[in-house]
Amino acid sequence: MCAEEIGFVEKYDLLGCIQCGRCTGGCPVALRTDLRVRCFMYDTQNEERLEELSEKPEIWDCTTCYTCAARCPKGLEPLEVLIGLRSLQIEEGRVQPTVRDALESIFKDGNPWGSPRAKRLDWTADLEVEALEPEAEETTDVLLFVCCTDAYDPRVMKVAQALVKVLKAAGVDFGLIGEEESCCGSEVRRLGEEGLFEMCDEENVELLNSFNVNRIVTVSPHCYNTLKKEYHGLKHPVLHYTELVAELLEEGKLQLSKEIAKVITYHDPCFLGKQNGIYDEPRYIITRIPGVEFREFDRCRERSLCCEGGGGKMWVESESKAERLAEIRVEDAKEMGAEVIAVACPFCLLTLEDATKVKGVEEEMRVADILELLAEAL
Amino acid sequence: MKDIFVLMEHRRGEMRDVSVEMLCGAAKLGGTVVAVLLGKDVDAFAEKAAGYADKVLYVNDPLFENYNSEAYQKALSALIKEHGPGLLLIGNTAQGVDLAPALAVELGASLVTDITALEMDGDKPKPTRTFYGGKLDAHFAMKDADLYILTVREATFTAEEPSKSGEIVKVDNPVTEDISYRKFVEYVEPEVGEVDITQSAMLVGVGRGIREDKNLPVVEELAQALGADLAASRAVVDAGWLPADRQVGISGKTVKPKLYLAVGISGAFQHVTGMKGSEVIVAINKDPDAPIFGIADYGIVDDLFKVVPKLTEKIKELKGA
Repeated sequence: MCAEEIGFVEKYDLLGCIQCGRCTGGCPVALRTDLRVRCFMYDTQNEERLEELSEKPEIWDCTTCYTCAARCPKGLEPLEVLIGLRSLQIEEGRVQPTVRDALESIFKDGNPWGSPRAKRLDWTADLEVEALEPEAEETTDVLLFVCCTDAYDPRVMKVAQALVKVLKAAGVDFGLIGEEESCCGSEVRRLGEEGLFEMCDEENVELLNSFNVNRIVTVSPHCYNTLKKEYHGLKHPVLHYTELVAELLEEGKLQLSKEIAKVITYHDPCFLGKQNGIYDEPRYIITRIPGVEFREFDRCRERSLCCEGGGGKMWVESESKAERLAEIRVEDAKEMGAEVIAVACPFCLLTLEDATKVKGVEEEMRVADILELLAEAL
Repeated sequence: MKDIFVLMEHRRGEMRDVSVEMLCGAAKLGGTVVAVLLGKDVDAFAEKAAGYADKVLYVNDPLFENYNSEAYQKALSALIKEHGPGLLLIGNTAQGVDLAPALAVELGASLVTDITALEMDGDKPKPTRTFYGGKLDAHFAMKDADLYILTVREATFTAEEPSKSGEIVKVDNPVTEDISYRKFVEYVEPEVGEVDITQSAMLVGVGRGIREDKNLPVVEELAQALGADLAASRAVVDAGWLPADRQVGISGKTVKPKLYLAVGISGAFQHVTGMKGSEVIVAINKDPDAPIFGIADYGIVDDLFKVVPKLTEKIKELKGA
């Protein structure tokens, strides 16, 4: 049976839903938008209503942070129902121009930012990093999978550059894919473009499998989640950089000598924490930096508040005029006296840094990726 | 030469400029100029039109209180059949482009829309319209017909002082059929400040560099002096200083104006992606390392509160000269 023939009820196990409301109760965007995911779990059981439901603007408010699924006592994944509804819109070609352009750019140039493939390695500048040869005889330890955002956004480039510095300092044997590197498709799938995601899956798996490496390390938790859990037939193990760096620190291969005498808190990216259970490594790394005073958000780890960067939200604005979650996050950080919000995800970096500007605290509150702090502490 | 009919357009108590412009233009073509006025108690418009026309056909009826394509088409078609003009000029407005094609089809007339210049060859018009955003002029040879209809872009002709005193002929409403199937419902005013920035030729982009919303007038004045519209970074929209329809960037609008003047915008990738296609980018920012300078054609590194007022002053001076 092909996917199209399976209805929503069966595909998402909707009859398993007991309407307890834990999904909506924990949903971070329910704080500021009209999205009530429990209602969609009920309403989509009536397949005749699917088209009407798919036209509701709030289905685009979901950041696919996974809180609803993590809280569901029946093990259902309410967010997937919303992605399914988005797919219905995408199939009809009814899609916001910003989303259309991002998807088209991925199809044409392998990135959602409307930038040419030829500029994919601009971020490496004078860092002297090598692109790996496919089917090489010699095994390279680590293949770095660099997120499109790290490759093209001048702000986020600094994170990828910091990673290179850190890996070099630790003497890690690593290489890049080169210009052939393409978007992982995480946001593609979550925007509901299933066909394009299948293409990302097939082409990237073939490309990645052609390299003779021990493991793949991603910079973004979104790529990490996709490569690790959503691709089919990938033969290399996948790590997030926080896992590799924690390992390097533990083995003594990475030495941190410079002090960063700041109060630092850590914002758990949903795709790293809630979706993949990586909570300890980032904290381990930050607390190894000399001089750091580490403080936790009240809403941390499993309860971490989503920054609203995922689920395709970089290209879709909510109709809500209420305060963004990232702004709440910045306020919380300010209240606890943090001087730096450390992150481990390009989207969190952008949304939180933007929020410091909106709140007018960009001078006193720094948002930095863990890698940037590490590179400064070398 | 046959008569020239000019349709007077009015809305909510105001006659459109293009109507007077067309009367003045028609007067230069030779032939009798007849202003056609459909309305309810708009005697003042009839008198105004008489100052520019040889004759005014004035239908005073509640049916014409507001524009209704059905009523207008039926009335005009009846008047045209009765008086047999050779040319009908209609403004290339929302109403005009709604009305003209339907009327042309009904009467078997030859039609060219949105003309920007007009010459005559006897009774036959030789209109011009532009293509490719004004880069190319096309001269039209119209198909022979008893009636030619043209919709005229505003400012094609110049309005002059009134020099005629045409006869005002009150005509009974020729529309006798029931057209209640098409009704005027209401005027919906666009929200104040609703501007489509993707259509703007010049934009002044405002970033967080302006610090507080009370500083917005500094930049507004610059935009006004330039004749530009205001655009904003996401942070400015998030702060509620400008409405969401002004947001430029990955999650906002993609704009390609002839000039994009970025004021206090650092140039976050999410913003730059939405405006990098602009023809000329000028950036004002106090931080010489701001990424906006990477894509700007011209850059001014200084405090915007020093630069912008001077720039505004200079532009006003140049425009005034």
